[in-house]
Amino acid sequence: MNPQIYFNEVNERQGAFHRRAFLMAGVTGLGMMALSGRLAYLQMVEAPRYRNLSEHNQFDFRLQPPPRGLILDRNGVVLASNRPDFRLYVSRDEHTDVEELLDRLQKLVPLDDDHRRRLMDDINEAPRRAQVTVMEDLTWEEFSRINVRAPELPGVTADMGDIRVYPFSAAFAHVIGYVGKVARTDVSKEGPNADPILLNPGFRIGKAGLEKTYDLAMRGKPGARKVEVDVKGRVVSEEGGGDIPSTPGQELRLTLDADVQNRALEVFGEESGAAVMMDCRTGDLLCLFASPSFDANRFVKGLTGPEYRALAQYERKPLFNKALTATYPPGSTFKTMVALTALQHGIPASTVHVCNKAWFWGGRTWHCDEAHGALDMKGAIARSCDIYFYQLALQIGGPDPIAYTARQFGLQQIFDIGVPGQKPGLIPDTAYKRRAFPKDPVWHPGETPSMGIGQGYVNVNAMQLCVMCARLANGQRALQPRLVHAVGGVLQPSGAVVPDLPFDRQHIDFIREAMAAVVTSGTAAGAANLGLGPVMMAGKTGTAQARGYNGGIGAHGATGAWALRDHSWFIAFAPYDDPRYAMSVLVEHGGFGAQAAAPRAREIMRVALLKDPQVRARIEQPLPSAPEAPAAPPVTAPDAAPPSAPASNAAGTAT
Amino acid sequence: MTVSALTRPGERDRLIVKLSQIDWTLCGAITVVAVAGGAMLYSVAGRAWSPWAAEHLIRFGGWFVLMIALACVDLRVWFAIAYPVYAVALVLLLAVAAHGHSSLGAQRWLNLGPIHQFQPSEVMKIGLVLALARFYHSVSAKSARLSWWLLVPAMLIGAPVALVMKQPDLGTALLIAAIGATMMILAGLSWRIIAGGALLLGVAAPLAIKFALKPYQLTRLLTFLNPAADRSGAGYHIMQSEIALGSGGLLGKGFGLGSQSQLNFLPEKQTDFMFASLAEEFGFVGAMAILLLYAAMIFMCLRIASIAHSHFGRLSAAGVTATLAFCVLMNAAMVTGLAPVVGVPMPLLSWGGTVMMSMMIGFGLVLAVRVHRYSEITSGKGSVL
Repeated sequence: MNPQIYFNEVNERQGAFHRRAFLMAGVTGLGMMALSGRLAYLQMVEAPRYRNLSEHNQFDFRLQPPPRGLILDRNGVVLASNRPDFRLYVSRDEHTDVEELLDRLQKLVPLDDDHRRRLMDDINEAPRRAQVTVMEDLTWEEFSRINVRAPELPGVTADMGDIRVYPFSAAFAHVIGYVGKVARTDVSKEGPNADPILLNPGFRIGKAGLEKTYDLAMRGKPGARKVEVDVKGRVVSEEGGGDIPSTPGQELRLTLDADVQNRALEVFGEESGAAVMMDCRTGDLLCLFASPSFDANRFVKGLTGPEYRALAQYERKPLFNKALTATYPPGSTFKTMVALTALQHGIPASTVHVCNKAWFWGGRTWHCDEAHGALDMKGAIARSCDIYFYQLALQIGGPDPIAYTARQFGLQQIFDIGVPGQKPGLIPDTAYKRRAFPKDPVWHPGETPSMGIGQGYVNVNAMQLCVMCARLANGQRALQPRLVHAVGGVLQPSGAVVPDLPFDRQHIDFIREAMAAVVTSGTAAGAANLGLGPVMMAGKTGTAQARGYNGGIGAHGATGAWALRDHSWFIAFAPYDDPRYAMSVLVEHGGFGAQAAAPRAREIMRVALLKDPQVRARIEQPLPSAPEAPAAPPVTAPDAAPPSAPASNAAGTAT
Repeated sequence: MTVSALTRPGERDRLIVKLSQIDWTLCGAITVVAVAGGAMLYSVAGRAWSPWAAEHLIRFGGWFVLMIALACVDLRVWFAIAYPVYAVALVLLLAVAAHGHSSLGAQRWLNLGPIHQFQPSEVMKIGLVLALARFYHSVSAKSARLSWWLLVPAMLIGAPVALVMKQPDLGTALLIAAIGATMMILAGLSWRIIAGGALLLGVAAPLAIKFALKPYQLTRLLTFLNPAADRSGAGYHIMQSEIALGSGGLLGKGFGLGSQSQLNFLPEKQTDFMFASLAEEFGFVGAMAILLLYAAMIFMCLRIASIAHSHFGRLSAAGVTATLAFCVLMNAAMVTGLAPVVGVPMPLLSWGGTVMMSMMIGFGLVLAVRVHRYSEITSGKGSVL
């Protein structure tokens, strides 16, 4: 072996290595420089942007639902408020085994299979990381049990929020309505319902009644809580700073009186119907009640299927607002309108018609409850003689003048009181006949007598009759009902700032005198006796047919199957000589007006009158020896006269 | 100690002399980086020694002692065990392929008694460096440049690359291939072959992307090209890593205050993304300090390689240097968003037993090359092939 070759060989290998190692060092150096440049770019040039992104990662603003505005009655009694509520939420991410998570939860809180199945669907449908409500209203034990185990339950949160509560539940359920969970259809792309707060699982929106109408005002503006979160969205810590406070919703003050409304609930008991009361000086509604009612608090949590079916399928329709949404024939209460029309058309109050219990006209027999004999107009109203009013209506000559009067008094009208779902009912006239019956467009004279007693096509709701009664009692102004007194402290327009009624004052006064006679000597004598000494009520009974009798009066009144009985009406105002409160009471299938409706009207009216200080002063005047009396509770307070006789006494003469 | 004393025969075999010949500056740099890693592991665990920091530091301490011991092992011994080590590593890789422990969809680990999750691919890094160095030690410059003999190193590289690719662990496979290629180039591979190989790679890469890559590998690649496209999915790692780095700014958020790693936004924070955690908490200054330490380590190792008298010593030290350089560059490029996410940990800084082992054995080898830089290795077929 040639050493020369050997050394050359060695040198060649070593030389190549050295050159290439130098190259390698150069390449490494270039790589390091590139990295340094990149680091400088990221950490110096772009640092502010990335710092921002990092904070977005680290901090999360959790929307805080604002407290919903309270609803108060006229005296500040809370009708709807918010209470704290422990809730349990679940959110899933890509690693969540929902089945396993629910298995674990099931060991800590009660979850039945049905609930679990619904929950599975909810969780799987919800977007990733969105919270889904598992349970609300956890007990403290359940709440703390979950919180203690929180580390083993990824994606599970238990926290506290506000939930709507209705302290009187049933009494105001139809008027106030209720809030409920946000349905997917409630969320819109724009407008107020595009607010992301709607996606908050605890959030509720107004679904019915005033809660629905004034939803936006009562909703308020959501705030946000700044929290530090980890990569799975779990809250690591809550920092005090950076929170955005929420703006509470506006307060709703109603004209209703909780005592009056609650009394209505009491006196109706299991009966079906409605009671409406208005201040006949201002138009403020003191009572707007429909029976039977339901517990609005159940709707806040969300009804189960069987619960809803039980309410929806009940014959007496608890979900129906019978004061506004249901219309009935007004029956004899409508006679006030017929009589007023007659007076306006020059038919004197002294007009006499004879009642023999049956009257033959137009080829058929028209019936009355009894043979009233010869009656003038006042007596006919007081004793509610049908035969008199058949003839009076014919004397007027047709439906149009009566319809004009009725509409002036608020019938067939919808009132802007903020409660949706009002039905206008119907006041028929010749135009209606032409419109609705193209095959028989003529108003037949034979249809007029029925209208004269508030039957036939005539249909009204309870609030319209209350408005009618209030306008009669007021005697001058076409009062508008008002339910919402103030929204967020801003007063709503009063119902008394309205034009006058186009009727002669003395004609209206005559109707009021006749209505007083109804109570003193007429169909409601006894049943409508307030028992408040000089403070007396005036009213008018009504017994409306719920069906055709097919001949004979035998089916009249409270006999037979419930759904076939007559509807019982009573309209009233009090005090008679200085009207303050007007009301209408409907007892569905209650029989005679004096039997079912009048006593209930009396009880509700008493509460309103006894709360009125001026009325109380009048009642207490005859008892100067007891100046301390006002301190006593209203119901046991000066009962000068004993409560009136049972309604059945008057039943025989009521119509 | 004078130069004359060191030239005395047998003087360099004395332990005290060997210890004095160890590059303590390099050892210092290694220690600083490893301790920095321990501190960062302590920080990202939420200021806790467990589960990572204590183990990392204890492991490093043990390996440091072993590294010093390995530095005193005669280069001839390293030379003698080169092929056996490679063979053992290859057998272990085959064992993994046969019945390894799989995790996260990849089969990379062997459970060797108490040592769980032992990664044979890490042993292969050392094995390949030794085997290639030994092969080229016995091969003439001409043969190393261009000859049929080159099929041997090609096979030495190809076999482990194929096995690791099969696991699948694209990052490590590429790393092993890169180490092998670098050593072939350093050994004097013809520029024509280098150019040809580069050309072939340019043509083959698109085809490989289309046919050979697994869907997740393709996703990673696509994600790298456009990380903003899928922020919560595959692009997440890159985005979060860049956010960690960027939000660190010039001086960092402070020790233990890196929200990205503390709140787990940073994936694999204790291994692949350790450097990002460090850059978040210590900012540009901290990241540059570590990067400069790595650069210093690389240049010190290359210097050691170039002063070795034996070709085996040169190439083996250079091979370890290449391993270190590739790991550092690939990891740093990955966390800064310059390269696709491939599972390459940052040497010494990241948590991980086998990675620490291969790196420390490598440093032991480099130190041994410096201690025995005047050794003549004459075994084998000499130098005339």
